[in-house]
Amino acid sequence: MISLTHYLSLSAVLFGISVAGIFINRKNVILLLMCVELLLLAVNFNFIALSRFMGDTTGQVFVFFVLTVAAAESAIGLAILVVLFRTRRSINVQELDVLRG
Amino acid sequence: MITMIIFGFLATVLVGAGIGVITARNPVYSAIFLVLAFVTSAVLWLLLEAEFLAIVLVLVYVGAVMVLFLFVVMMLDVNIAAAREGFTRYAPIGAIVAGIVVFELLAVIWAKQSGLPVTAPLVTNPAGHSNTREIGLALYGDYVFEFELAAFILLLAIVVAIMLTLRSRPGLRTQDVAAQVKVRREDRVRLVKVPAETEP
Amino acid sequence: MYEFIDSLLAFLPEPPRSTVVTLVTIALQIVPLVVVLILCVAFLTYIERKVIGYMQNRIGPNRVGPGGWLQPFADTIKMIVKEVVVPANADRFLFLAAPLLSIVPALAAWAVIPLFPGFAIAEIDAALLYVLALTSLSVYGVILAGWASNSKYAFLGAMRSAAQMVAYEIAMGFALVGVLMAGGSLNLGEIVARQAGGVLSWFWLPLFPLFLVYFISGVAETNRAPFDVAEGESEIVAGFHVEYSGVTFAIFFLAEYANMILIATLTAVMFFGGWESFLAGPAFAVLDGTVLEFLRWPSLGWLALKMAFFVFCFLWFRATFPRYRYDQIMRLGWKVFIPVTLVWILVEGAMVVARIGPWSA
Repeated sequence: MISLTHYLSLSAVLFGISVAGIFINRKNVILLLMCVELLLLAVNFNFIALSRFMGDTTGQVFVFFVLTVAAAESAIGLAILVVLFRTRRSINVQELDVLRG
Repeated sequence: MITMIIFGFLATVLVGAGIGVITARNPVYSAIFLVLAFVTSAVLWLLLEAEFLAIVLVLVYVGAVMVLFLFVVMMLDVNIAAAREGFTRYAPIGAIVAGIVVFELLAVIWAKQSGLPVTAPLVTNPAGHSNTREIGLALYGDYVFEFELAAFILLLAIVVAIMLTLRSRPGLRTQDVAAQVKVRREDRVRLVKVPAETEP
Repeated sequence: MYEFIDSLLAFLPEPPRSTVVTLVTIALQIVPLVVVLILCVAFLTYIERKVIGYMQNRIGPNRVGPGGWLQPFADTIKMIVKEVVVPANADRFLFLAAPLLSIVPALAAWAVIPLFPGFAIAEIDAALLYVLALTSLSVYGVILAGWASNSKYAFLGAMRSAAQMVAYEIAMGFALVGVLMAGGSLNLGEIVARQAGGVLSWFWLPLFPLFLVYFISGVAETNRAPFDVAEGESEIVAGFHVEYSGVTFAIFFLAEYANMILIATLTAVMFFGGWESFLAGPAFAVLDGTVLEFLRWPSLGWLALKMAFFVFCFLWFRATFPRYRYDQIMRLGWKVFIPVTLVWILVEGAMVVARIGPWSA
């Protein structure tokens, strides 16, 4: 019988994997953005599982908004990345430490 | 019983895809693994009977956001060897930190006094119940202000993304398609009557 | 159907029986549809060459079999026995997986299409969203094919083609929002049922600009002429599938035609009444009670007829129009179609409030 704990544990494991990804990845900005997407996916899992098991639609409505904001954030993040790459020719996180554009 | 097997299979694929995102050699492979993770979680949400959000996840995330990621990854010339440097050095500490985070989360979930219905099975919806209708009623009923705000955030994202990346290169000659479409026959063709040349 | 299979398999014990019966029922519904679909796609390649040939004042293929109708089989055998060449330094796994990513969404979308009253293989309440999601998945086949080929022409063609597909997907999505407002449900069977009552109550009349935008965006989405700059043979060799040969190319080829048939069927379902008859409705009520009454009944044949007409329009466009330039294609998608759909959705909203047309009930 699949219960709430299974879904919450799955989302916890996914969250841990993306935290590990952010830790391990020292160089690649794109991989950082992808790990942020995995984080948001784990959180969405939590919302939907709790919404369905507790019978409240609010969780699913909130997931809708999280999807919207995550899409907007990755679009803007990738646009910034493209512009940075045009000027600095590198996507190494440690080289992006100058405030001057 | 069948649902247990399906859930186990999908959960394994999802965790595998997550690990694949982190450990892939190539950023394009990471993006493909992320696509796999999204599609698998969409199917898991279908198991939870949240079909509207499952399909919207595929439509928005896989259909648009990941295409954007793939475009950027493919067009940026990434030096793959340099990007992977430092992986083995930081892998143990990353694994330890992630392990602690997961352990803490699981401890909260499995604690006895949380009060959540943690072991009850899912109360399935009656036949004919429409998840889309339910979300629609909530979204346009109780949360209409937040909905408008989300629309505004998306508009903001469009404007910012275009404004950041738009550049006009000097010396580049482009065509004005609107002017080309508005052209009329009288501006381009002129019929001239020329008398025939006869032999002298 | 379920009860019939259940009675056949009654010898199985109870716990696995209901699952097995469900799976067998679904398989027995999918297999004929896929077989018929693949045959349709194969013969569409032959019909395209004949139709375009006659439009260009020549006969198409007529050597293989009487009248040439065995040509698709000859083509299939030829493509299967050709050698599959994987380019040097190409990403082997993605190179071989990309054609599958092209054809699987085209075939999977047929699960929700209503074929005759009361039957679609999967009657889900979010069918329209499902179809939209699958058409957006077909972009991946193009991008991965171009990148995995390790070839400049393929990569450039793939990027252009993918950008074009994403742009026209948005116009298609907005056109479908208009259909959703008229149909009142995301369930395709319900949308067809709302169009009952003769030609003038189908959705092409109140949603005419959306119908035009949807169909033309469908032509652009499948990279068909006149929008085929990314794979036009005279321009960029063959675009994203230039490095593919043999059975891998055959799968891309089949995927393009399967997508064509899918878009034609969706246009028929959403704007032209699906399985409804032309002679239904009050105008031809004189036929009721006569021997010709069966012409007013809905059936799969009417859907096939409408789908065939739209597929003929695809072929007609290819034979008639010159190719658009790439910047003209992108301008059309972003700056013309999307504003048209947005304005018409506003107009449709006004029609709903004022109770004109199909909302007068």
